Amino acid sequence: MDTREKNIEQLKDYKYGFSTEIENIRAPKGLNEDVIKFISNIKKEPKWMLDFRLNAFERFKKLKEPDWQKPKYPKINYQDLYYYSAPKSVSDKPKNLDELDPKLLETYKKLGIPLQEQARLNGIAVDAVFDSVSVATTFKDELTKHGIIFCSMSEAIQKYPDLVKKYLGTVIPTTDHFFATLNSAVFTDGSFVYIPEGIKCPMELSTYFRINASETGQFERTLIIADKGSYVSYLEGCTAPMRDENQLHAANVELIALDDAEIKYSTVQNWYPGDENGKGGIYNFVTKRGLCKGKNSKISWTQVETGSAITWKYPSCILKGDNSIGEFYSIAITNNHQKADTGTKMIHLGKNTKSKIISKGISAGFSDMTYRGLVDINSKAKNSSNYTQCDSLLMGNKCGAHTVPYIKNKNYDSNIAHEATTSKISEEQLHYCQQRGLNPEEAVGLIVNGFCKEVLQQLPMEFAVEAQKLVGISLEGSVG
Amino acid sequence: MTEKIKIDFEKTLKNSAFSEKDIEFKMKYLNKFIESGLPNRKLENWKFSDLSQIIQKNIGELSFYNDYSIQNKVDTSIFVDGLEHNKIIFINGRVEKIDFSYEDHNKVKIDDHFEFRAESDNNNSLLSLNNAFTNKCFRITIKKDYSLKKPLVIYHTTNNKIKSKNINLKLEFELEQNSSLRIIDLLKDESVNNFINIFYNFNLKENAILKNYKIDKILNKNIRYLFNNIEQQSNSVSETFILSSGSNFSKNEVNCNLNGEYSSAFVNGIFSLDNEQQHEIRTIINHLVENTKSYQLIKSVLGKNAKSAYQGKIFVDSKAQKTDGYQLSKAILLDETSEFNAKPELEIYADDVKCSHGSASGSLDENTIFYLMSRGLNYKQSKELLINGFLLDVIEKITDPEIKNLVKNMIGFKE
Amino acid sequence: MLKINNLNANIDNKSILKDFSLNINPGEVHAIMGPNGSGKSTLSNILSGKKGYEISGEVLFENKNLFELETQERAHKGIFLAFQYPLEIPGVNTNIFLKTSLNAIRKANGEKELDAIEFLKLVKEKSKELKFDEEKLNRQLNVGFSGGEKKKNEILQMSMLSPKLSILDETDSGLDIDALKVVSEGVNSLRNKNNSFLIITHYQRLLDYIKPDFVHVLMNGKIIKSGGPELALELEKKGYENFN
Repeated sequence: MDTREKNIEQLKDYKYGFSTEIENIRAPKGLNEDVIKFISNIKKEPKWMLDFRLNAFERFKKLKEPDWQKPKYPKINYQDLYYYSAPKSVSDKPKNLDELDPKLLETYKKLGIPLQEQARLNGIAVDAVFDSVSVATTFKDELTKHGIIFCSMSEAIQKYPDLVKKYLGTVIPTTDHFFATLNSAVFTDGSFVYIPEGIKCPMELSTYFRINASETGQFERTLIIADKGSYVSYLEGCTAPMRDENQLHAANVELIALDDAEIKYSTVQNWYPGDENGKGGIYNFVTKRGLCKGKNSKISWTQVETGSAITWKYPSCILKGDNSIGEFYSIAITNNHQKADTGTKMIHLGKNTKSKIISKGISAGFSDMTYRGLVDINSKAKNSSNYTQCDSLLMGNKCGAHTVPYIKNKNYDSNIAHEATTSKISEEQLHYCQQRGLNPEEAVGLIVNGFCKEVLQQLPMEFAVEAQKLVGISLEGSVG
Repeated sequence: MTEKIKIDFEKTLKNSAFSEKDIEFKMKYLNKFIESGLPNRKLENWKFSDLSQIIQKNIGELSFYNDYSIQNKVDTSIFVDGLEHNKIIFINGRVEKIDFSYEDHNKVKIDDHFEFRAESDNNNSLLSLNNAFTNKCFRITIKKDYSLKKPLVIYHTTNNKIKSKNINLKLEFELEQNSSLRIIDLLKDESVNNFINIFYNFNLKENAILKNYKIDKILNKNIRYLFNNIEQQSNSVSETFILSSGSNFSKNEVNCNLNGEYSSAFVNGIFSLDNEQQHEIRTIINHLVENTKSYQLIKSVLGKNAKSAYQGKIFVDSKAQKTDGYQLSKAILLDETSEFNAKPELEIYADDVKCSHGSASGSLDENTIFYLMSRGLNYKQSKELLINGFLLDVIEKITDPEIKNLVKNMIGFKE
Repeated sequence: MLKINNLNANIDNKSILKDFSLNINPGEVHAIMGPNGSGKSTLSNILSGKKGYEISGEVLFENKNLFELETQERAHKGIFLAFQYPLEIPGVNTNIFLKTSLNAIRKANGEKELDAIEFLKLVKEKSKELKFDEEKLNRQLNVGFSGGEKKKNEILQMSMLSPKLSILDETDSGLDIDALKVVSEGVNSLRNKNNSFLIITHYQRLLDYIKPDFVHVLMNGKIIKSGGPELALELEKKGYENFN
């Protein structure tokens, strides 16, 4: 085996697959009112928050788990999960990083997310979420200067109850679907962002999610509010240890953009995908929804989905304000036995609203990929438009690629255009690249990155490079 | 509905001469239908139109019993002028005439009563309903190497003697090797508020050619469902054209299985709707072997409160390398109350394929209208010109020149 | 440099090259001329390592068995093929492609990889020499390029990668006279006592600009005649049909 092959072998391994030995505090196993009270209590939540949770739980008991999605999975026993797990050392949140368990610092360092002052990523403020709780937020002081609030959800509930009360659950109500409602009942932590009127957030904000404990569901909740005329770019990254069991991740993310505000939300999702025989891996059942509440507001979702055993999510935009804009850029890659059913919803309610969907799906190995999307232009959304482009790339004939767009146009002076293609990497293209000296893996990486270019361009610079590499790594072993 | 349908079923059995085997078959499907009921929007297939509700709203209670003992008089004035053709005439669901007088009688075989075939069941409750109540199912076989000299026009006529009825029809066509058939379904209704449920099954052997044209042009208040199942062996070609315009509600389904290499299927359609009309076309093209091809083009022009939906699915099996599949749907919304829905779907398991779809909807381009008006046309003329231009390329897809002209005349296209 | 001994190539049981032999020494320019279907493109495909052929015989490149090398390894050793139909690769920037390719070859040969600045300097220089529109370097590889631009891009790549053996597969087809001149100048500027060329063409006109040392006539998978540049002129006069 020459060195290059060795390198590839190493890359093939999921490099975030390690787990950290750390003492945890857990809620008792199972899902019931007591567990919800336990979570609320340990977080010292006010009564309105507990009521919010219990309300959701009442509703949850009446809901049926949906089964219309393409990737099927064995029934989840919701009573056999832990709904709260936190490193013991952060149960009383440390006041500064010096107090943080060195093991946690080490974990994030290994993940390439240094939290210590001297080693911080340049120009990016990070909120690190470990299992159920936020362990650290960097660059807090700098942000405070601008009046920007960037903290964990638990902290926000304590410190900014009025803001949380006003917006939490307004985009994803507690009465929403099964997993969203479950999240409303049991969510543990997540990030909270508030950008005040007229402020352009001077740095990228980022949350790094890490599932560590076994038999634990991760239910985090993120709420981002961009007040009038403000701007924020937010990035989310995720990893998990390699475990034989499947782990559930059911987060809720709510975005609210007021008049003239813009939110750019990027995700590089690299949860553990399971081994090459499809054992283990994360079930990534996440609800992400943005509300363009004010006029001229804009919400843009960019996602690079390479991990998880099953990815099932539709980051959506509700375009309520006149002239508001929604965008969705997606790269989804499935290899081995991974499955994905992902896409977006663009709901046009206001006048002159515009949306754009660019989706690139790549399936290899025995995997299965579905783009599912809805474009709905309401009768009042005069002069609105949507452009959708869905391209699929198949590698081999053991995998599947599907496109299921729903198009509803109820407005006569609005335009919807949809295009979709399915193709493969041609032998000729591969030969051409190889003739120029590239090995087959490099050639595939290059061609696939070219295929994904329109989406990669949308990512913040620092992460575009990382994402490009990830695209290549995810497809290792899929040629030849 | 359950009580009513059971009573009507008893009555139907009493007044017909079904064999015991037939009755057993019909009972089975009646029970199946009762179990599932009329389809509603909870079913993915009926997402855009809730048949149960539409029948409820427009008809109220359906009656399932039809008296097929009385012969109806055929009104020859409805026959298509200037086109020599074979005929099958349905009046109120009863077959009044089958006439293949232009053809060699050894080459066209008509079975007027053969054992009902339980088709590969797809949980379609309307098929169950059809199986339970169809009076007679005809099978028409076109013998090997024979091409019908003249097209077959199937007249679907109803008169004002029936109301709030459910009518079920079923036809089977067997196209043997190298044979060819042209069919035109012509709808002519004088009745109101009936639910007409039609099933066609086409079996195309090697090299067979089917041209399948459906013309629903004359305004009527009926609710119609038409299911076409097309099985294709190698080198066979099916061409389906649907003009969907006359009925109050109409849904055409085309399910096509490309079972043989180099077989191809074409589905083209026009929705031209106004005044509360709601029409849908749903297609499933299953590419099951290598080197098959499908092409679909559907266009809508929608007026006041009109609603059209196109659900088109291309399925490509992992064995079906070198598949070429294409779908395009376009719509013009003329009124702020009109609505266009589409679900163009690809489900692909093979990698060496060429599949794409497109969909576009919007209003007429006011700039173009302005341009035409600046050349002296009035608004109405400009609009008509643009709409005709928009629809013309679908009509141009009709490969039979005689029928293409017929359709053009019916729509009022001037050459 | 390149020794082809009794090369036979079949595709789907159809014989395309039959006992084909050819010897190219360093610094030599060989032209292979032949009508459509004579096996010209098969030869360039096999030399570059395209899969799908049944092959027997022997091809040595610098005394090493070529068939033991993958396509990219042949490129690393200095074999360059200017494709008859250069491929379009959507989304891949031409510059990035060139840099990736150049560095892959440099790395394989134990040379230092070029950084962005060194690369840009080199590509600027070469583009200027070859009158290649620099703006196109920032476009997607060959996407939306005209036929002539694609061919010029192949020559630019050749010039950047400085191969030992360049195979030009019908590089002249689809070129107008100006583009033909540019392409030929590019080739001529690379000519030296170490570099060899194999020019595959249908017509003689390219050979007006690139003077070959040897001309071979390929018919039905076999070289039927070899000679000097005068052979090309003779061929042009008589046509392939009457040549035999």
